[in-house]
Amino acid sequence: MKALKFVLTLIPFVWTIAMIPFVNTVKPIVLGLPFLAFWLVAGIFVAFVCLSIIYKIDTNNSNG
Amino acid sequence: MSNEFLALGIIFIFVFVTTIVGMLPGMKEKLNLEGWAIGGRGFGRWLSWFILAGEIYTAFAFLGASGWAYARGGPTFYILGYGALAYVVGYYVLPKISPIGKKFGLMTQPDLVQHIYDSKPLGILTAVIGVLFLLPYLQLQLTGLGIIIQTCSYGLITKVPAMLIAFTLVAIFVYLSGLKGVATTAIIKDVVMIIAVVFFGLYLPFHFYGNLGNMFDALDAAKPGFLALPGGTKVLDVSWVMSTLVLTSLGFYMWPHFSANSFSAKSPEVLRHNAVFLPLYQICLLFPMLIGFTALLILPGLSNPDMSFMVMVQKVFPGWALGLVGGAGALACMIPASDLILNTSMIFTRNIYCRGFNPDADHPHQKFVARIIVFIVTATALCLAIFAPNLLVNLLLIGYSGVTQFFPMIVLGLFWKRSTKIASFCGLIVGEILVVYLTLNKLDPVAILGLHLNAGFVALMVNLIIFIVISIFTSNNDDLIAKEKRLNAL
Repeated sequence: MKALKFVLTLIPFVWTIAMIPFVNTVKPIVLGLPFLAFWLVAGIFVAFVCLSIIYKIDTNNSNG
Repeated sequence: MSNEFLALGIIFIFVFVTTIVGMLPGMKEKLNLEGWAIGGRGFGRWLSWFILAGEIYTAFAFLGASGWAYARGGPTFYILGYGALAYVVGYYVLPKISPIGKKFGLMTQPDLVQHIYDSKPLGILTAVIGVLFLLPYLQLQLTGLGIIIQTCSYGLITKVPAMLIAFTLVAIFVYLSGLKGVATTAIIKDVVMIIAVVFFGLYLPFHFYGNLGNMFDALDAAKPGFLALPGGTKVLDVSWVMSTLVLTSLGFYMWPHFSANSFSAKSPEVLRHNAVFLPLYQICLLFPMLIGFTALLILPGLSNPDMSFMVMVQKVFPGWALGLVGGAGALACMIPASDLILNTSMIFTRNIYCRGFNPDADHPHQKFVARIIVFIVTATALCLAIFAPNLLVNLLLIGYSGVTQFFPMIVLGLFWKRSTKIASFCGLIVGEILVVYLTLNKLDPVAILGLHLNAGFVALMVNLIIFIVISIFTSNNDDLIAKEKRLNAL
């Protein structure tokens, strides 16, 4: 569980920071947004999903 | 009725109603110091969510984000990135702080630092630095409010009298209601803000271009490369955005008011739950950017990019609509400003005045002093806003670089047993000197090996290395055991 939590904590940082050099383009325009902006907006959802899972793991632990 | 009176009238109604709503909790019950400063540590999920989220939608998000999109292009998108990451950090840090605060009666960030390291001088140093960097952030809110009122009066009222009127109101509001009032009104502010930015952020590009994609296509054709990094700038490139994202996501919760806000939560569980949902709120930051980008093609050559949002609405809509936007924007400046004023005055009173000069002050006396400081802090920020104006984002980044230097001391202090107070002193002082030196000498971003790094990031790395090395050499077993005791609140 600890390793999983660690990975889930790391994913948003990799997505939003480490990937910047690879997503720094205007085209293609996705959902009406320049690609860089689209990627960072997607990062918000990635962070939400990762935190949701971490939260689930944590509450399960404290109940059991 | 003419446009300017309609717009100003609507703003006045917004501010007036909100002020009344905010004062109610303070008038119903007689607040003690704890109730005034941290809401009696009783905030449940919703109030806690709004007090934490309320700090996102400030004058900066509203005016600064559109201004940056207008002037700089691609680098603006960093704003979308840092929020989500900051909450991942917050998920771990805030729930750790809150129970320690409850058990040991802490109310401010310097209280926390003093407690972690059992060092009064370190607490005082943290307090002084915290107050110094809260002031530009507060100034940012005042400047934003000035811009809004100036535009909404169609030039009838100039910036300075506008700021004077509104901030007298804010100071009275904080004086009477404290954090509970701020949290309640943050709800009103957030709802109004979201409606305003989502509506205008979508309406304006659709109105002029049919849809978002067309708008960005047109912008990309007119200014190739503007929407990627480094956009309309020379140095805000990939390395700048990456280093700035590290700085801002680590520094987000180092703002002194967030410690106090986490002390106000009923339980650590409340804070964890909130952290999960806060990232989604960041999406709202996209909409002001859309307005800035639209304005660039429709209204080229604005002298002050931070005005692009307001001028755009002024151009396309009648006075009453501008008044609604202005009202929402005014709240976005006032509510965060209230929170900042409240915290600055608490830190000044508890951690500088009481610890430094009058250690015997009881709670009623502290509350009395804190309320007087409210007016002094407001006046100081007002003077800064009038005599040292600066582009909004610069104010934000200076503040960020400064407060992020607390990160090793506070976060490693909580999670790493070997951290020591000598290391905190050395790391913090070197970090802050670097920030001030680099910023004042216009060396931000710092060019190293062909990279353009955020000055605050460079200072943080140096600070971190010093902190870790000195900690390893100065920690001893007795201290470890004592520190363990102070931190085990549960």
